[in-house]
Amino acid sequence: MTARRAAKPRRPKAPRTEGSPARKDPRERLRRILFLVPYAVRHPGIPVRELSRRCGCTEKELLEDLDFLLGVGSPPFAPDDFLDVYVEGDRVYVALHQSFSRPPRFTESEAAALAAAARALGGEGRDRAVKALRDSVPRDRRASFDELVQRIYAGAPPARDSVLGRLERAVAERRAVRIAHHSASREAEVERIVHPWTLAQRFGHWYLYGLDPARGRALAFRLDRVRECTVTDERFDAPGEADLARARLFSEPEGDPVKVRVGPTAAAWAVSRPGLRLVKRERGGRVVVEAPGAPAEWTMRFALSLGGDAEVIAPAAARRHFAELVRRTLDRYA
Amino acid sequence: MQKDQRLLDLAALLLKAAEPVSWREIQEQFRDDYAGRGEAAIRKFERDKADLLELGIPVRWVAGDEDLPAGYLIEKDEFYLPDLKLPPEDLALLYVAGSAALANGTFPYARDLAHALNKLSFAARAPGASEAAAAATRQLSSTDGAEGHEAIAARVEELSRAMAHKKRVHLVYLGAERRERTERDVDPYGLFQQGGAWYAVGWCHMRKAIRTFHLARVESLAVNPAAPRTPDFASRKDFHLADHATRETWEYAHHPPVRCRVRLHAPLSTEVVASFGGRAKVEEEGGGAVVEVEATNAEGLLRHVLGLGDRAEVLAPRDLRARARDVLGRLAKGLA
Repeated sequence: MTARRAAKPRRPKAPRTEGSPARKDPRERLRRILFLVPYAVRHPGIPVRELSRRCGCTEKELLEDLDFLLGVGSPPFAPDDFLDVYVEGDRVYVALHQSFSRPPRFTESEAAALAAAARALGGEGRDRAVKALRDSVPRDRRASFDELVQRIYAGAPPARDSVLGRLERAVAERRAVRIAHHSASREAEVERIVHPWTLAQRFGHWYLYGLDPARGRALAFRLDRVRECTVTDERFDAPGEADLARARLFSEPEGDPVKVRVGPTAAAWAVSRPGLRLVKRERGGRVVVEAPGAPAEWTMRFALSLGGDAEVIAPAAARRHFAELVRRTLDRYA
Repeated sequence: MQKDQRLLDLAALLLKAAEPVSWREIQEQFRDDYAGRGEAAIRKFERDKADLLELGIPVRWVAGDEDLPAGYLIEKDEFYLPDLKLPPEDLALLYVAGSAALANGTFPYARDLAHALNKLSFAARAPGASEAAAAATRQLSSTDGAEGHEAIAARVEELSRAMAHKKRVHLVYLGAERRERTERDVDPYGLFQQGGAWYAVGWCHMRKAIRTFHLARVESLAVNPAAPRTPDFASRKDFHLADHATRETWEYAHHPPVRCRVRLHAPLSTEVVASFGGRAKVEEEGGGAVVEVEATNAEGLLRHVLGLGDRAEVLAPRDLRARARDVLGRLAKGLA
């Protein structure tokens, strides 16, 4: 290598704009670039919009990144030594990738975050997946990975590993499952065939979400109520975009949400609980909260769990139901 | 030259090089950046190497031998993300778990998690159905617009960084029941999630003990800005996050241990049994069950049992059963 950087003028670049990602966090931009170049190599002609969505940035930021890349290359900085990523007709192409054809290994925090998430969901392959993540971190950083992964606990798996492992296989292979599930509405165990589209998590609970062919609609089943699961030979087609656009874990609640008045002792605790919304603060440190989207039954049990420091105040029907629940529970202590 | 450009140029040079690149050659090629013979140039280069490593790019020094000159290189095998070679169900686990965590809006190292999920498409031969399932997971698990989420997400992120670099943090914290506002320095040891809420555990310099902090009650948080690359504390070998994260509310140390028994009425659901945690003894009985736990905070157990409604009742100790009856009696009277 005899040529010098100074000997080769860099290609002209557009002036930087105020608030560009480089000013926000240069390292974040580098990480994005180390993904976007190989991704565009693998998907020639990918639309700008799709690439920016994949990269988690705006189209404007992506175009600024591409502009920045015009000046990146390796010595001796001959024309062919620069990265050549260009946009033509709103699509992105890579002419010269300068060895950035695959992304770099996981950093220890990337792998540790993914490992912590995987350990919280669980499944028979959990340890295998965590080991594979560890092996994908640069050798020098594996000790840091080991330490970080011990510093995050994102929850206990919601069901037995065997149940979760089978569900994960069924999701990956698009196979129907037969589940034995405790139905909260019927207060009994029921068997169902489900086409498992995916697993999802809300308010600290995991759900199996998929089509129940017997009922002809997609439903959510709480995973901690699934006692058993069998993968069948029946395969199902991927859900369409329209099906996914309509997908909801909970049906829209009818009428006004249940409102709970919480006394001063439990107020701070109630306000900090995920899923609850503060409606108003009252004199004496009391608060009124509601749980948008949560079933009325859940909100009533929540009020009971505050040990006498909370009561359902509205709507009137919910207050009557709460009074009945309190009476039935009190009868247990007769 | 801007630092981000220099780092990419350096990576491109070392990736393309067929053999190790000497320090002198690097200096020649990056004259404006690493010029001079002094320590300053070396230190700047070492900082860049450290930054590249933080991006997942390991730059190595190779001592010369008769075949190769001494110098720096990036080994391609050590640079490129390998195929994880995982079966489809394990990929589904990673995609779905990672996507749900990200969509929930509050997860340690959330930005890193987003990058990891992106990279995953390169680490799997045919993610197909798992990638599609992950998109559905994101939509179903999304908490976009949830009140207070952004503030908690920011605290989780700050604490993640502080934890990784072992930096002390200064907290303004609102206690739950005593409702007092306190300020304290904390060495963050770990983060855990319980019931959808995030907690930090660490050494509290005010209480001179390990304490747990509900992040929704952290009013402000500042990471010690001094010497960002120098740790403020060392890891404790005797600290195990699971001891704190899996502790049930009735296991908080408020009084000496008391054996408590709870009846779960039929029909029994796995969810209700599981809610008593892994240390509970469960004996099934006539379609229902009797659960036995050791409580050091009986009030916590009472609240848990009350939250189960008429599906459960406290059997023992007698005074806790009386307290349950009293609470329910007062509630019933107020609602009449």
